[in-house]
Amino acid sequence: MNTPLTLTPGTRPDGTARLTVAGEIDLSNSADFARAVEATEGRLLVDLTAVDYLDSAALAVLFTHADRLELVVRPLLMPLLTISGLTDLTTVHTTTPDSAHP
Amino acid sequence: MARSGDGERAPQVEDVFSADGEIGADLAVVDWAATPLGPPDGWPQSLRTAVSIVLSSRFSMWMAWGPELTFFCNAAYRRDTLARKYPWALGRPANEVWAEIWGDIGPRIEKVLTTGTATWDEGLLLFLERSGYPEETYHTFSYSPLHDDAGAVVGMLCVVSEDTDRVIGERRMATLRDLGSDPRVVRTEQETLAFVARQLERNFRDLPFTLTYLFDDEGRARLAASTGIPTGHPAAPDVLDPDDERAPWPVSEPARGEAALVELDGPPFGDLPFGDWSAPPAQALAVPLPQQGGAPVGFLVAGLNRYRPLDEGYRGFVELVAGQVAAGIASARGYQAQQRRAEELAELDRAKTAFFSNISHEFRTPLTLIMGPLEELRRRLGDSDARTREELEVVRRNGLRLSKLVNTLLDFARFEAGRMQARYEPVDLSTVTAELASVFRSAVDRAGLEYVIDCPALGEPVHVDRGMWEKVLLNLLSNALKFTFDGSIRVAVRAEGTHAVVTVADTGTGVPAAELPRLFERFHRIENARSRSNEGSGIGLALVRELVGLHGGTISADSSEGVGTTFTIRLPFGTAHLPADSLVPAAGDLAVSATADPFVQEALRWLPGDEPDDPALFGPAADPGAVVAARVLIADDNADMREYLARILTGVGYHVDTVDDGRRALDAAREHVPDLVVSDVMMPRLDGLALVAALRADSRTASVPVLLLSARAGQEASIEGLRAGADDYLVKPFAAAELLARVRANVELARLRGHHARWRTALVDSLQEAFFVCDADGAVIEINTAFTDILGYGADGLPYTPVHPWWPDAETDPEAHGQVAAAFAALLERRQGSRTIPVTHRDGHRLWISAAINEARSPDSGRPVMVGTFRDVTAEHYAVQRDTALAALSTRLSEATSLADALTGALAELQGLWRARSVLAAVFDHGDEPALTATDPSAAWHRLTESRRRALTELRRHPPLTPVGEQTGAGIRLNHPDGPLVLWVDTGDHRPFTDEDRLLLSLLAGRLGEGLHRVHQLDQQRETAITLQRAILGPSHLPEGFAVRYQPATSRLEVGGDWYDIVTLPDGRIGIVVGDCVGHGLRAATVMGQLRSACRALLLQDPSPARALMALDRFAASVPGAICSTVFCGVLDPATGHLTYTVAGHPPGILALPDGSTALLDQGRSVPLAVRPGRTRPEAEFTIPARATLLLYTDGLVERRRRPLDEGIRQASQAVHDGRDVSVEDLATRVMSGLAPAPGYEDDVALLLYRHPAPLEVTFPAETSQLASVRSALRTWLGKCRLPVDTAQGVLLAAGEACANAIEHGHRDAPGGPVRLRAETSADHLRLTVTDSGRWKPAEPGGDTRRGRGIRLMRAVMQQITITRASTGTTIDMNLRIR
Repeated sequence: MNTPLTLTPGTRPDGTARLTVAGEIDLSNSADFARAVEATEGRLLVDLTAVDYLDSAALAVLFTHADRLELVVRPLLMPLLTISGLTDLTTVHTTTPDSAHP
Repeated sequence: MARSGDGERAPQVEDVFSADGEIGADLAVVDWAATPLGPPDGWPQSLRTAVSIVLSSRFSMWMAWGPELTFFCNAAYRRDTLARKYPWALGRPANEVWAEIWGDIGPRIEKVLTTGTATWDEGLLLFLERSGYPEETYHTFSYSPLHDDAGAVVGMLCVVSEDTDRVIGERRMATLRDLGSDPRVVRTEQETLAFVARQLERNFRDLPFTLTYLFDDEGRARLAASTGIPTGHPAAPDVLDPDDERAPWPVSEPARGEAALVELDGPPFGDLPFGDWSAPPAQALAVPLPQQGGAPVGFLVAGLNRYRPLDEGYRGFVELVAGQVAAGIASARGYQAQQRRAEELAELDRAKTAFFSNISHEFRTPLTLIMGPLEELRRRLGDSDARTREELEVVRRNGLRLSKLVNTLLDFARFEAGRMQARYEPVDLSTVTAELASVFRSAVDRAGLEYVIDCPALGEPVHVDRGMWEKVLLNLLSNALKFTFDGSIRVAVRAEGTHAVVTVADTGTGVPAAELPRLFERFHRIENARSRSNEGSGIGLALVRELVGLHGGTISADSSEGVGTTFTIRLPFGTAHLPADSLVPAAGDLAVSATADPFVQEALRWLPGDEPDDPALFGPAADPGAVVAARVLIADDNADMREYLARILTGVGYHVDTVDDGRRALDAAREHVPDLVVSDVMMPRLDGLALVAALRADSRTASVPVLLLSARAGQEASIEGLRAGADDYLVKPFAAAELLARVRANVELARLRGHHARWRTALVDSLQEAFFVCDADGAVIEINTAFTDILGYGADGLPYTPVHPWWPDAETDPEAHGQVAAAFAALLERRQGSRTIPVTHRDGHRLWISAAINEARSPDSGRPVMVGTFRDVTAEHYAVQRDTALAALSTRLSEATSLADALTGALAELQGLWRARSVLAAVFDHGDEPALTATDPSAAWHRLTESRRRALTELRRHPPLTPVGEQTGAGIRLNHPDGPLVLWVDTGDHRPFTDEDRLLLSLLAGRLGEGLHRVHQLDQQRETAITLQRAILGPSHLPEGFAVRYQPATSRLEVGGDWYDIVTLPDGRIGIVVGDCVGHGLRAATVMGQLRSACRALLLQDPSPARALMALDRFAASVPGAICSTVFCGVLDPATGHLTYTVAGHPPGILALPDGSTALLDQGRSVPLAVRPGRTRPEAEFTIPARATLLLYTDGLVERRRRPLDEGIRQASQAVHDGRDVSVEDLATRVMSGLAPAPGYEDDVALLLYRHPAPLEVTFPAETSQLASVRSALRTWLGKCRLPVDTAQGVLLAAGEACANAIEHGHRDAPGGPVRLRAETSADHLRLTVTDSGRWKPAEPGGDTRRGRGIRLMRAVMQQITITRASTGTTIDMNLRIR
């Protein structure tokens, strides 16, 4: 059984794509995540607010599409994104307790 | 989980059985409708609950419900107890299920049902038929009531744990312990077997009957002992012949050292005893009685308990019993062999006595043939020359003396043999005694003593054997005369009531008070008593006492030193005290027999008036002109003068020797001291004056009178001569008459003067101690005969200048030589003292003498001399040396804790004893290359010289305990438990190995052999004990997070009373117990086993530490030796670290906290076990923080003599604190070694460590689908570790990457292979290990960005990463320092 993961595609008010992810992304389900990202075109906001675990497989997907992504993550994941260098390529927003969404 | 319903059954009915899939499934198919309970859907809630409880419990349980007590059980009960009865038993009435034990359990269940109170049974014996036969089993269980929904008791629940192994193990251990209870007491073989039988009869359960057969010389087996079976039973024949096919027991297998199992179904086994059971054994095991280094001495037949399988434990038990029996027999036989040796020695003594008395007897005939013809000769030669007569007289006197001695010895021999034939005749004791006493009158008169014979008539006769009475009186009189120098001797006879009393009293030297009690002892002589003669065998008074005793009388002595001695004899009147057949009528002959003659002759010879030359040589036969028969030495260089002088002197009877100068005169005088020297003054080489000076300077010749002859007349010449020391001076020419007058006067004068000197010489010669005089330089110038007797060097060799010839040789025995040289130097310097030193007899043998020396001044020359005496103490010396050496060796052996230790210690002892260069022991345990032990630790067999190796190998085939020596050492063979042992003592060049050394070596080797054997026995016992200890010690498998240690005190038997226990409770919590019973050894271990089992059972039943210990209080009160045991008992929740605990007098637990501080678990304290049974015990709670370490221990870890306990606890705290960052396993080792005192722990130590949380270990198949659940487990565990959120997230990430790598690469060729994740934490560190069993493919540059990124991530969050690739798999090891 792969790690449970919910992927909800959507559109932002400005017409750009949004992908809302809930669960954990690891080697077992990163392909699902990759497919969901690849299904979009142009700028994409990946909302990872409900994700509390990412591994290098998930990062690989994010790096592949880094130049068209914008991320929203919980502060917990910030060190990982910083260490991996993703923050240098992509805009990353962190949630705060009183602003769940940007 | 609900099965799809079929409409017939409500889901909750099936839920009743759902708690256990396996048992539940079998329960579900039971036809419940056929039971009084009906179908499950109609069961009351209470029943459903009870069934769920039973099924969900991991504890062995069964329950019964309803009118027929319908049976339910769970999986544990099925496994442990029900066995083959499953699933048949389910749903059946309990009394059918347990029909075979219903007699035992029925009443108990009945009680529960009627009273509603629970029962508790510990170790109840039940015969279960679960393995196809009735099996002896023991169970501890409780029955508690089950209530229905209305509260009525309708069933019972049984929680049971099986104790079979413990109960049987303890029973067997008790038997082994009793058998080995005192291996040091050596008994006879019979006593040993009786002792063994008494012990075996105490365990008729394991040994319903036993037979001990021992092999005789013909290879048959003879029944030596039996237990549990009557004598004469057909299964217990007295003798078994190995060739007898019908013999009930095999003989040849045990003789070969093999055990044999016998089915007891043949005819001889028809009526076998039952032991403690209700049926006879079905099998018996015959096991050999092993003997070290030899074939078995016999075998033991053990009837087997038919209710237990003959498993490894049972078989081992029987073999250990046989081993103990065999060891006992070996020890007894060794002891008997020693006894026999001692008896042989005693027999040798008796034979010696017999030999001497036979010899004495043999002397009699020749003596008669000497004495008879001698009397004849004396009569015939009565008119011949004086010399002949004198010589005959000497022969006669000594002949008489020898006869007297021989007769006394023969009297004794007769006494010993009971052959003394007395003839008692009535005599007038006064007359007989007076007559006998008068025989001594002449001798007493001559001694100048007053002699009083006071013997008035008694009025009634006394029955005496005349011959014996003579001996009594003559011995007493001769004794009195011998020791009395002035005063009187008095003999008196009186009547006192029913006794005649005879007293012989003297005014002699008397006997010291300390010697009086031994006066009548045979061969006892009073040393240093002043007496007229030193002759005497020391048996006279002993004989007197025996003789008086034969007459029914008594003799006593009363004496004061310097005042005199009185002997009092009491003889009864009448004949009632005498054997009737020995009575004879009065003979009326009062003549004194010939017995008296030797006594009187001997006495006369002590007296000065009886000098041999007195009557004989001055008798009438001498020439009228003769003067004295003296020896005169004439020294003159003029031959004519010599002849003239000789003619004059010979003519009147002098013995004359002539020499022609002073030098020769001096030599002649020294060789044979003359009575007078007549010397010319003018002589070549040495003149007369120098001769006088030389004679005076020598103590032996200092008193010889010298008559100088000179041609020089005048006053000056004579003054010069006299001043030089001459006694007289005669001027040539002189008249013959004048010469004769001067010679005679000087000889007589010298005799007067010489009397004193001769008296001194006689005195010195009579000393039993050797006597010598040294001059100031240490030259020995005078010795006595005892000196010659002891050392073999005679007076003819005097003077002996140092180095004296009896000194040990400096070349061959430098050590002994050095001892003597040192003693001699010390004596010369201090001028007095005493020493015991080794010396060499003239014939070369070694002696030890105890010498004393004092400074004196020579009376003749006035110069200082050293006067010394010595005794031969050789026998004493060696006896003391032997005793000391044997005692020292025994001590060494008794202190040894192992065979190797014993041997090493013994070798060191031998090396010290002989101050040997080295001592080595070669044990030929197998093959030709022996195991070598040596005082030199670097020694090895291959480094020995070829010749030494050959010698040792040859010795191996030598008879045991027979030393083989050479110049530089000696070897001997003895028996080592592992095979022949050859011992070699290399004394080197500094001393020879004497016969005494050989004897000592043989004794020591014998003792060593026995000692090794004993240590070997102890070794075996210890092994047995350790095996048993392990069997009853703590759990073999520990839950994660724990580490334990157990170390018994460094005692002989390494078992003890400390324990630890870790038990997983039904609710998932963990019971932790550390306890300490009083004492060490097997006894404490037995108590410990019981407490441990009980405490474990109690915790399982009710997981409250306080209540468990309160119940244990009651239990301990009934176990001998359990009172005052201390216990820490706690229940730990491994998820939260929450610990509930109580402490019964036990030292506090120690906590090392992650912040670096330490704390003690010092709450919940109360008294030790069973001290106040019934008192409520407190319970304390504590939550062990994450990454803290808990240490529990027994006081052996921290208690030291002369040190407060606090200090020990502080040190232990420090040790845990210092090790808070190493794994608990390493920490356990570190604490044990760090706190151990130098000589090892004196007390048992049990130690338990726990670190919270326990490490996480997950093994999962290498599939990505596993990642989420692994992560979840790790996340939970990290939560327990209380790490900062970021840190925990990093660890989670690193672990995820490592796992992903393992799945992706490690198992790309074999998907699904196992991956292992282990996480453990300590105070400041966290360690993650991920292991796979595959091979990573090498990273391709730029090829695998995910993996590269993964590893980078790991490195970023963890501080240290090690990746180890091996053929068996890859391991990623990651470390993180927390904070």
